[in-house]
Amino acid sequence: MLAIETRGLSRLFDGKPAVEGLDLQVPSGAFYGFLGPNGAGKSTTMKMLTGLLRPSAGDARVLGVDLADEDGAVKRRIGVVPDGLALFERLSGSEMLRIHGQLYGLDRATAGRRAAELLEALELAEEGGKLVQDYSHGMKKKLSLGCALIHGPELLFLDEPFEGIDALAVSGIRRMLQELVARGALTVFLTSHVLEVVERLVTHVGIIHRGRLIAQGTLEEVRAAGSLEETFIRMVGDERPGPAGLSWLGAQGGGAAR
Amino acid sequence: MKGALLALSELRTRLLWRRLTARGGLAEGVARATLLLLAIPTGLLFAVMLGAGTWQAVRAGGGLRTDVTATAVFLGIWQTWTAVTLSLNDREGVDLRRFLVYPIPPGRVYGLGLAAGLVGDPVAIFWAVLLAGILAGAALARPGGWLTLLALLLLLFAAATVLYAALLQELLAMALGSRRLREWATVFSVLAAVAVLGFLAASSARPLKAFAEALPALRLAQWIAWPGALAAGAARHLYAGRGGESLPWLVGLAAGGLAAGRLAFALALRQARSGGEGGARARGGALRAVLFPQAGMRGALWEKEAKYLLRHPLARTYGVLVPVIAAFVGFGLEPRLPRESGEVVRAVPLLGLAVYTHLSLQGFWLNALGWERGGARLLYLSPLDVGELLRAKNAVLFLFSLAVFALSAAILLLPSHSTPAWAVGAAAALHAGMAPYLYGLGNLVSVLNPRAASFAIQRSASLPALSGLAGLGIVSSVSGLFALPVVLALRLESPSVLIASWLALGVVGLWAYRRALPSEARLLLVRREELLSLVCGDDA
Repeated sequence: MLAIETRGLSRLFDGKPAVEGLDLQVPSGAFYGFLGPNGAGKSTTMKMLTGLLRPSAGDARVLGVDLADEDGAVKRRIGVVPDGLALFERLSGSEMLRIHGQLYGLDRATAGRRAAELLEALELAEEGGKLVQDYSHGMKKKLSLGCALIHGPELLFLDEPFEGIDALAVSGIRRMLQELVARGALTVFLTSHVLEVVERLVTHVGIIHRGRLIAQGTLEEVRAAGSLEETFIRMVGDERPGPAGLSWLGAQGGGAAR
Repeated sequence: MKGALLALSELRTRLLWRRLTARGGLAEGVARATLLLLAIPTGLLFAVMLGAGTWQAVRAGGGLRTDVTATAVFLGIWQTWTAVTLSLNDREGVDLRRFLVYPIPPGRVYGLGLAAGLVGDPVAIFWAVLLAGILAGAALARPGGWLTLLALLLLLFAAATVLYAALLQELLAMALGSRRLREWATVFSVLAAVAVLGFLAASSARPLKAFAEALPALRLAQWIAWPGALAAGAARHLYAGRGGESLPWLVGLAAGGLAAGRLAFALALRQARSGGEGGARARGGALRAVLFPQAGMRGALWEKEAKYLLRHPLARTYGVLVPVIAAFVGFGLEPRLPRESGEVVRAVPLLGLAVYTHLSLQGFWLNALGWERGGARLLYLSPLDVGELLRAKNAVLFLFSLAVFALSAAILLLPSHSTPAWAVGAAAALHAGMAPYLYGLGNLVSVLNPRAASFAIQRSASLPALSGLAGLGIVSSVSGLFALPVVLALRLESPSVLIASWLALGVVGLWAYRRALPSEARLLLVRREELLSLVCGDDA
């Protein structure tokens, strides 16, 4: 059973392909790491799969439903932490979680109870009454994860969930996600630049480069003998040489006129 | 340093150019040009009137006519200029916080922001034309060297008005952003209301007359409008040919402007360095269950919209500003309406208030989605019915608008001797009747031309010029539609026709609104990419 399946999924911007002929297969219950260098098409793919972008061509099935026929039923079954987050900054953290839960169809009491539990689990309980606009970036990421989980989704989309947050928070989120996947409670589709973290988390990997899927399979199949980082660099290009020139860097005053 | 300032100017010019040459930019540019073209003839019309008044005042060479004209002209311009800047203006200021990292003195950045805001604001040309009208009228009445002093006076008046308005914006932002200050303001308002009512109750058999007699004491309050008062003082002397005696007033105007500017900048810098609201805590939990009893998605939407609106500094500003304007009109203008004027004329202030309340809140109904910022993604990620979202936005805004209107109308009617009773019902019908038209068309503008809106009232760039122009057209057309029954009521000499017609128009509007909502929701879904790009900076 596949949680996500795409065939020839493509998206053009101004006639140029950002994603081209993508054939993804994400098994149910998998922890799927979707990797690629900057501008490879990861976020565009995630946006198409979550309904934020219309595909230019191709099909996508999420939880067995063709996205072209999606009428909101799939949205209730997925949770998303999008790139740039999706938070109402003038609500408090606890209001954000509860109202988010209600928007996904939970009743007020259930949403309120789950919001309190999530705030505890995400170590935000003391900050629950503060407006989201006053949260640090890491706190917003954690709150966003809470929002994505509050309605008990079957499939979780996480776009760069570890970007800009400290090691302690990364460790906490990682533990929580591993536990949920191990329980068989959900499938996770995650993009990240932090390859060491991804390697310790995922069961399956897909690598996208210049809009095309260049590798896909279980973690062991894709990385073969080496580490994931070595495999990744080998597939998308060699390590680039250090900057030539820039001799003014480190010079007294940096060369700026005083 | 000069290079850095030039770079900053270039940055702003390039950003403006990019915006005008990006998708939808041409329409935006045309809208700006149109607003400019509208501002010039309107300004010219008023400039001719002001010029004629000034001509008479200068020719009179002193006395009551000179004094009254100078006071009315300068206080009038100041009041309108400030009110427009604080409420309707779409000036784009500089976010000082973003430029603190650069090695440019923040004072220069702030000054540049004020200047750039004026240059980029089509309304600014309107004030310039008005001031030119005064100078022209004076020059025709009495040519001579004294005109240099008058030109200096006009320049100082303009600078002081702009700087004082900036200070008021900073003070408002500070007052409305600080919970303690808000609470004190609330306590003060309640005590003031109790004191007024107590005064009225304890006065003689004619409490309103007694209150009117106490009004001269309030004349001291004119110094709240010190740029207008000082400029009027200088003008009185200049018009009467006493150039030397005008100098202290000019110095006062310059010093006041400088002080206001320094203070406004100090507050802006303090705010920029404060890093936000410093851990403000949201409140209202106890009231929540009572106010939003509906379970599920609809209740959550209404709650979110209500909280967003009530926590918005602009909404709070209008919640204060519109009643204050109503008080000005009620205590200042309405008692001066001739007793012999018809009932319809005497009802005009109240009816105008109904329209003005909608107009002042146009940023919310013409750019309904701009305040969502990153949260806009959630509108498409969640299984939300976006039609329900628009409905919740409109309903909550209407309730807020109704509350502001009711409060302002009560203040306006407090000193009124002559407003006919039927005007209250008519104004309520007008306010309610216009809403479905304005909000229905506003939804369309919000979906077709959204823009990420600022939460800071110091940078009131909440509406793109195109939406502002569309708003002008919508308010004018809807006002025109609702003006038609006035002709009928005048002909039949029956005010009840007015109430019935406006209610009927409102019912038709509500029917059309409900019919249009599903299509607007579909359009909102179709335009999700453009909307997210503009509201969240989400360029995929």
